[in-house]
Amino acid sequence: MKIFAIMKKELQSFFYSPVAYIVFASFLMIVGYLFWVILISSRMASLEPMLYNAAFILLLASPVLTMRLVSEEKKSRTIELLLTSPISPAEIITGKFLACFTLYLVLILLTVQYPLVLSAYSTEFDMGPVYSGYIGLILLGAAFISMGLFASTLTENQIIAAMVSFGGLVLFWIFGWAKHAFDNAFGEILGNLSIFDRYAEFLRGIVDSGNVIFFVVFTLTWLFLATRVLESDRWR
Amino acid sequence: MIEMTNITKFYDNFRALNNINLKVEKGEIIGLLGPNGAGKTTAMRILTCFIPATSGSASVAGYDVFEDSLEVRRRLGYLPETPPLYPEMTVGSYLNFIGELRELSAGKRRERINYVAERIGLTECLTRVIGTLSKGYRQRVGLAQALLHNPEVLILDEPTVGLDPSQIIEIRGLVKDLARDHTIILSTHILTEVSMTCGRVVIINEGEIVAVDSVANLERAVSGKPAWNICIRPAAGKDWRQLVEMHTGAGISDLVEMPETLHFKLNLEKAEDFDDLFRNLTGAGHVLREITPVKATLEDVFLKLTSAEERKEAA
Repeated sequence: MKIFAIMKKELQSFFYSPVAYIVFASFLMIVGYLFWVILISSRMASLEPMLYNAAFILLLASPVLTMRLVSEEKKSRTIELLLTSPISPAEIITGKFLACFTLYLVLILLTVQYPLVLSAYSTEFDMGPVYSGYIGLILLGAAFISMGLFASTLTENQIIAAMVSFGGLVLFWIFGWAKHAFDNAFGEILGNLSIFDRYAEFLRGIVDSGNVIFFVVFTLTWLFLATRVLESDRWR
Repeated sequence: MIEMTNITKFYDNFRALNNINLKVEKGEIIGLLGPNGAGKTTAMRILTCFIPATSGSASVAGYDVFEDSLEVRRRLGYLPETPPLYPEMTVGSYLNFIGELRELSAGKRRERINYVAERIGLTECLTRVIGTLSKGYRQRVGLAQALLHNPEVLILDEPTVGLDPSQIIEIRGLVKDLARDHTIILSTHILTEVSMTCGRVVIINEGEIVAVDSVANLERAVSGKPAWNICIRPAAGKDWRQLVEMHTGAGISDLVEMPETLHFKLNLEKAEDFDDLFRNLTGAGHVLREITPVKATLEDVFLKLTSAEERKEAA
């Protein structure tokens, strides 16, 4: 399968370069610190504050993982190889997305120790919000990566790609603030687009199908747009 | 096998190709020749479905590059101007990745990688990281990539750039060998390369085809009247010049007088004139040291055709 060929190649190049290791190391360091400091200060067996902060760290880190996905191919002209091979832009984008998403899942998996510690040492620890929180975190990651991947198709400059995805993600993160500013339909619409508000519901233990669908549609939309941008290179 | 019909390509307002028509038969090696910026790479990118033409149509192996792009791409091997390599991969894993993209089964991939690596002299490099290879080896890896799936059509954009002379000879030999069951288009601005490998030459200048013919025909067309470079050692006391002029009507140019010998270029109306002249010169005691027929080289052809084009533009 050509999608898996792309995926395998991308995963390899993540680990050939120091980028993945550095993102992993700094993320785990920060999350470890957050877990410790929150637990010590609140003395509550809750994972919610940690997952909330982890999501914001991931918002900062994911553009670093996604920025090179397509822009590096454009810069080094290997995109010419891919686009003249019998593989479609959709397959290229899907393969790259899956590679980055797999990496993301591994990163998330490495934080599972913290809820395990909590459940082992606290008397009445509720695993429900942990499960829903992790579902939220995984969906959130797919959203982050798809938008970053889209930004990466726009330019051959990795820094620009990172900045575009970072800007976009932060904007979607804080869209919810409009709800407080406008008490009308406009505020409502912007509020509905807020990825933070929707993620926060998962942290409270609610898996709303509307929220799940939102994240899936959000991800697919950016992947679709990324595919179109890659295709359009052939038209211009 | 390859057909381009009325292909025109604009980059914004710049016309890169103008009304290109070209037909390449199966098993041919075509050389695209032209100065930098003539449109060679653009033409190749259109054929490989990397960019679309502004107007006109092109087909490879009977499939339209625009309508049936996937089928075209299955049948193509393409070496772009910059070899498309991933510097962090090893040669072996890179070729394996290409094999996967080219829809080869695992067994077939191993077999083809070994075969191609041997043909191109990469066998010892399979475990090396591409980023550490020299330019010549990178070029070879790029070529291996294009050949891996044994495509019907090979499109090579300046395949010998960056290679050392012995590698260039090897690669030329390889290209000639491949031509038996592949159709090849290669571009270059090295003229000897074309005369050594290609059956036909397409000369492109400023986006237009100015000539399509075999190298021999092109050379003949430009050289015109027969001419020889001659070196004689004149016999003492005898006038060689009068003798020569008697036969040729003063067709002497580029005269160089050395202490012992004379060098000049002889331009004749007909080749037969030379026979009499030769007999009379030796008969009079002059010694002929050297006679070489003057052939127009591809350089001459090229310069003549491309500068003719410029004159036409100016007029």
